[in-house]
Amino acid sequence: MTHEIDFDAIIGKYRSDPFDYMDVCTIHTGQVRFRVRQDAAVEGPSGEWHHIRGTLLYEMTREGNQKKIFSSSNGVVSFIRDDLEGQFVEAGEKILTIRHPLKKREIIENILRQVLEPFNAPERAKYFFSLELQAKIDKHGQRGVSIKPGDEILTMSLMKRDTPVYYAGEPGIIHSVYFQPGVSVSQGEPLLGICSQEKLPMIQKIITRVKAEWE
Amino acid sequence: MVAPLSFQTIRQLISDVEIPSRLGHYPAELVQAVYRYGAPVGSTILHLPQADRLMPLARQRINEDETRGHSCPSGMAFLADELTGSRGRFQRSWYAPPGGLWLTLVMANTLLPESMRLYPLAAGMACCEAIRSYGIDARVKWVNDVHVSGRKICGVLCESFTSSTFAEEYVLIGVGLNVNNLPFPAELGATAVSMKEILGCDTELTSFAARLLAKFSWSFGLLCHDEAQRLAADDGSGAQLPDSLLLAGWRELSDSVGRKVWFGFDVQRQPQYQAEVLGLAPDGGIVLRHLESGGEIVEHSGELLYID
Repeated sequence: MTHEIDFDAIIGKYRSDPFDYMDVCTIHTGQVRFRVRQDAAVEGPSGEWHHIRGTLLYEMTREGNQKKIFSSSNGVVSFIRDDLEGQFVEAGEKILTIRHPLKKREIIENILRQVLEPFNAPERAKYFFSLELQAKIDKHGQRGVSIKPGDEILTMSLMKRDTPVYYAGEPGIIHSVYFQPGVSVSQGEPLLGICSQEKLPMIQKIITRVKAEWE
Repeated sequence: MVAPLSFQTIRQLISDVEIPSRLGHYPAELVQAVYRYGAPVGSTILHLPQADRLMPLARQRINEDETRGHSCPSGMAFLADELTGSRGRFQRSWYAPPGGLWLTLVMANTLLPESMRLYPLAAGMACCEAIRSYGIDARVKWVNDVHVSGRKICGVLCESFTSSTFAEEYVLIGVGLNVNNLPFPAELGATAVSMKEILGCDTELTSFAARLLAKFSWSFGLLCHDEAQRLAADDGSGAQLPDSLLLAGWRELSDSVGRKVWFGFDVQRQPQYQAEVLGLAPDGGIVLRHLESGGEIVEHSGELLYID
């Protein structure tokens, strides 16, 4: 984890380029048919439960099995491999980039992710806090709860099979929660951002600074 | 009361009743192979007159076995005549008095993740088949609630557990099945039903437990057989893989397709949206059409509440 942070450099970077660039890679081998063009505006999932899909980006066909791939974020198509239209493409090939305009909250979260210890989703599933941890959060508030390695912190729910998830990082408090109960989280996506007690003042400084300097 | 039940009794039931009945639908070599895969079910059966809950006992037993340098036998079954502290998902209370069948089954996980995720469906299928074998028109509601005319007769709770010494992964399958327990508390009367209420007489619990474990032997065996078939057929060319027999069996027992439902992660406390059920995805997810937006969604975690 980073202990020193150059605020001016980071804020300067976001001022000059307040975007996230999200590469879209083919999910498996197959024939690609694009459904968007360069500079097209795209939408991410919407609805209270993210149940309304985003913009259809491309279709992938293999052995008569067609899959539709939708955008996971709003933004603009800033890069597209038009030359691959209708071609058979290998898995993991970068075929699109979505330029996503960052909100102030996202900028703060992006900076915090450089400082906080991430705790990532082990599988694509839905997550909720373990009963014991939820009770502590209800009583003391999210940032009033410390966790340490070995603590059962979450329950992963997949096909009505619940699996306890244990914490395996540095001891600290739960600073940021990136999941909502009832909304699926993809494998490897951050679920929590954990902060050691001594870093709390620095975290607060980051938030204050970004809020003050960002319209 | 469940009288002592042995592994041999279950094997005998499979040999005398279950295999001949399956041979009417499947080739002999497939039936033999599936029951070989499912053979561990009921390998050890522990019977308790009363317990608070069975899941914690199962976890404790796994760890105790490992402390003594042994692995817990896969297929171990815990049966109790009565549970005093039972609960469903999300801490929902579950009424478990004498007369019902209260079971926790311990399966050592030897499956790949994409097969392991189907354990809950296989469990619902086994429970539904066991009830139907007594002439009751039971149906499965995704994932694995078993109901008769909209009233719940059986609930299944699955948990993963990693043992503390050998870090072996187990799947614990908890079953609460209303057999002879009647009447229900007032708050459950309209939503729950027991076999006794439908049949008008008691069912011999020990025979029913044996029948249920025999059905588990088939459905868990199918899960392993399906995986083996898919691995054998997958030559890396992307060719169509064989359909899952487990999912085909589950579809036959379910009445979810075509229904209008509320979907929710915890549907009782927080229904999320209304949808029509379009089908079961090859990975066990439920395919829904969101009624408001018309969008198609595949959900892998959550519950359905029928509204039609």
